[in-house]
Amino acid sequence: MIHIGKNTRSRIVSKGISAGKSQNSYRGQVHVMKRATNARNHSQCDSLLMGDQCGAHTFPYIDVENNSARIEHEATTSKIGEDQIFYCLQRGIDEEAAVALIVNGYAKEVLNQLPMEFAVEAQKLLALTLEGSVG
Amino acid sequence: MLTIKNLQANVGEKQILNGIDLQVNAGEVHAIMGPNGSGKSTLASVLAGREDYEVTGGEVDFLGKNLLELSPEDRAREGIFMAFQYPVEIPGVSTINFMKTAINQIREYRGQQPLDAVSFLQLMKEKMKLVEIDQSLLNRSLNEGFSGGEKKRNEIFQMAMLEPKLALLDETDSGLDIDALRIVANGVNKLRNKNNAVIVVTHYQRLLDYIVPDFVHVLYKGKIVKSGTKELALELEAKGYDWIKNEVTVA
Repeated sequence: MIHIGKNTRSRIVSKGISAGKSQNSYRGQVHVMKRATNARNHSQCDSLLMGDQCGAHTFPYIDVENNSARIEHEATTSKIGEDQIFYCLQRGIDEEAAVALIVNGYAKEVLNQLPMEFAVEAQKLLALTLEGSVG
Repeated sequence: MLTIKNLQANVGEKQILNGIDLQVNAGEVHAIMGPNGSGKSTLASVLAGREDYEVTGGEVDFLGKNLLELSPEDRAREGIFMAFQYPVEIPGVSTINFMKTAINQIREYRGQQPLDAVSFLQLMKEKMKLVEIDQSLLNRSLNEGFSGGEKKRNEIFQMAMLEPKLALLDETDSGLDIDALRIVANGVNKLRNKNNAVIVVTHYQRLLDYIVPDFVHVLYKGKIVKSGTKELALELEAKGYDWIKNEVTVA
């Protein structure tokens, strides 16, 4: 994200999902140039872990050349909890569907922003990738 | 409907249930009371099939099936519902979406067609009225940012939607103010009929003023040490649990 002009705003939402033995990294640069007075950026990095052999890493790069800039970065890591799974099981939802439900809920904020065709595609891809990843 | 024989269960190395015997018939409401740490919630969790508990002995028969052999989701599909003491939050998943998934998986298990959107909405509207819950709550992420009362009401709403044969209410009264308690209890009462049964796990007699039980059992050290009618609950409220503890020690 590069801020060139005055009074520019940007927002970055990153949602990573790590399953199995995968490692997921977020690297994002926010560059505020000299003339970008009153630039604002908010970055939010969420990571969801499935299983205990995966990891998530966040590397924000922030270059600010103008003192009036306001830059925020926020990162969270969460795990699909056994309690969440059990809650779903107790309502008659099997484990695979439960994980799909929880993951889709997690990614919703981002998927919702995509154009319809992409959103459907992304959702299918997500379901396909997660198939059998619950152990 | 439910027959429990000499049920024993452990958490880790510690034995929590020391031989529970309980018979629940259709149309009945049973209350399970007892001091902290007596195994009340464990009993509910074991029946629902939580993995943290290891069943070390005994039998549980539910409508002619060996309950202990069924997976948690199949128990739910057979008609066991547990209202959680601490319902979990699932961000980004609305109660409506959650219920739709649950109902359709249960229907699939029973060999029925999935419910279409119109019938689902109709069912939902009907049940919403029954438990006095607002649709705005059901559009929000499941339990996320809900107050204690809203969470419990949401549990009862789910119970209404799933129409269980046996409902386990695990300390559903905890964290409720009087009005919320009344609404939750009313919901449960409306859902009672001669074909289903309810087991209420509670600390206090207060809830039993609203949901009147047919039987009251006192659990102490993982065993049912006393059973009676609703008068027993009143007696407990007046005298506390000590006299029961003494009785057990003397015997």
